Amino acid sequence: MFSGKLRSALVIGGQGIRARKLRTFLSMVSLFLGVLAVVAVQAGSEIAERAMLTDVELQAGKDGTLMGYIPGEKGASGIVETMLKGRSDAVAMISSQAIIGEPGVRPINEGGSPFEYAGRGGDYYGPQMICDASGKCTEQKEQEKKPAGQAIEVSMVALTGDIRQFKPFRPVSGTWLDFASTPSLAPRIVLNEEAAKGLKQYRVPGEMMIEGATHHVTPQIVGVVQDGNGQPRIYMRLDELRTWMPAAAEANDTNRFRGGGTQLEVYLQPGSEDLQQLMKAKLVGAGVEQNHLHFDTVNSKKRMQSELKIMRLIFLGMAFLVLLIGVAGILNVGLATVGERVEEFALRRAVGMSRMLLAGIVLAETLLTGLLTAALAIGAGAAGLQVALAMFGSRFPSLQGTAFPWEAGVAGVIAGLVAGVLGGLIPAIRAARIPIATVMRA
Amino acid sequence: MQPQVQVQAPLLQLNGITKVLKGQEEPRTILSGVDLTVHPGQSVAILGRSGSGKSTLLSLIGLFDRADEGQYFLHGNDITKLPERRAAALRSAEFGFVFQRFFLLKHLTAAQNVAMALVNGQGWSARRKRRQQVMEALETVGIAHLAKSKPARLSGGEQQRVAIARALVRQPRVILADEPTGALDTETGNLVVEVLLNTTRQGCGLVLVTHDHDHARKMGRVLELRDGRFN
Repeated sequence: MFSGKLRSALVIGGQGIRARKLRTFLSMVSLFLGVLAVVAVQAGSEIAERAMLTDVELQAGKDGTLMGYIPGEKGASGIVETMLKGRSDAVAMISSQAIIGEPGVRPINEGGSPFEYAGRGGDYYGPQMICDASGKCTEQKEQEKKPAGQAIEVSMVALTGDIRQFKPFRPVSGTWLDFASTPSLAPRIVLNEEAAKGLKQYRVPGEMMIEGATHHVTPQIVGVVQDGNGQPRIYMRLDELRTWMPAAAEANDTNRFRGGGTQLEVYLQPGSEDLQQLMKAKLVGAGVEQNHLHFDTVNSKKRMQSELKIMRLIFLGMAFLVLLIGVAGILNVGLATVGERVEEFALRRAVGMSRMLLAGIVLAETLLTGLLTAALAIGAGAAGLQVALAMFGSRFPSLQGTAFPWEAGVAGVIAGLVAGVLGGLIPAIRAARIPIATVMRA
Repeated sequence: MQPQVQVQAPLLQLNGITKVLKGQEEPRTILSGVDLTVHPGQSVAILGRSGSGKSTLLSLIGLFDRADEGQYFLHGNDITKLPERRAAALRSAEFGFVFQRFFLLKHLTAAQNVAMALVNGQGWSARRKRRQQVMEALETVGIAHLAKSKPARLSGGEQQRVAIARALVRQPRVILADEPTGALDTETGNLVVEVLLNTTRQGCGLVLVTHDHDHARKMGRVLELRDGRFN
């Protein structure tokens, strides 16, 4: 029975739309911008959220990860390395600077800056400072300027294990570091995209100078990853680094320069509080001050989601206002159409149609109009995204390969339906109130 | 629930029907204690001057409106105070309406206009069955060959026959015709009246409101309404 009513409403609604194509088109035009605004806001916020949240995970780590900052003083590095050796649930990483290319020259991107700033003069990092473990920094005396040469400077990250469980780097080419194999004398390195860009752009000799290392090394490049970092960076196994840079070498002040070997970060899986306590106890026992140990649970994604949600609500509110203008258009056309169809509606009631179904037909027409408009707006949104990606995708690498988010499609359909209901409700009520006797008096 | 058909029972029976129009002005009595009985296969003509209440009576019989007083029986069942939803179902199942103006939807073909009475939310039949019913109804009024024509391409008589086909397509028990020949020439009017009378031969009741005494004389009974009462 319901099926008969629904089918009748759809059949008659479809006939009504076909009979008044121009009016339907005008309704759709007024509604199109409103639905498109909702689709665009939803798609934009979804894409932005995905891009930002993915990069947040790459840079800060997955939510729930227990992250610790440990000063590389009093043998802390050695203690942490020993504790985490062979463990799969925790990874330590030591950061330093390295220069790949000609020795004894000034790197093209001195200070490890992104290559788009290379050669533009000035120091990307400002004045060079030396910082102690407590964070107190003093400006370093200006060094004698070295001659310019074919070398690039990168930030070097040495790892005790596979960091990707905490920071899901996206593979670009080659492979990731193999921590199960025997350490190699020629350290295997994985480049981030910016470092790969530098090596591709500049012809530099395959020699690497690591701050604090006893010798120059010849690296083996095994792969490239996207790590969400704009500065050139390389990743390598800590045990392979140790062949060339003993833990003791990190202690001196020279290597603290620009966050040298003394920067130690540890990443622990959620629920590793015992390991954290043990590590703290050992470090404090070795003389590291308790207040120099900072452990936090990564919560960036959740925090960012909350901020994005507020932004999305603001924009959706604005889109809804645009949608209301479209609703007013449908309402206007709907009321005019009902006025013209008084006799038709009276006749339909005379042949047995109920008031409810008559209202349903008017609503079905506006709902179908809303849905058609939604389909067009979603199509326009998807096409617009493809055009935008084709035009600007190269400038925003995180947008590359972005698909039209299904959430935007759903939002468009909901907006179309809501507009159809809001725009059709009053005309539907008016249609239902038309007396049948109209056909007798005509 | 469908009213039960009783053998020999009148098709419809109105007892003491009164209708008062309540507007901004003084209430005006349109019908005053009208009695009317129609049996299956019977045709009744209602004559009367303009404003005598003919159309109001027809709208009460067709359940477009409710009487203020009196009783209305259909197949012996009291339907005087029927709720709107049930009234709509009865209009669909029991009555066929023909009006002075044909009320054909200009954007639909003759067949689609006839099918309009089938697509009214009172049940659902498959497209093929609908088409068959529509073609049978058009055949009955002799214009099956015009099924695909739009109203603008049909003459007045053809349009009225489409309207009659629309009234017949659900095989109603009663045909209510409100001055169906008013907009037609004499010859076409006669043809339309013949078509309507044919329906009574299949047991259908016919109530015809008309000003035309010639057409009225062709009916089984002729009643004249004056000042809200039958003379």
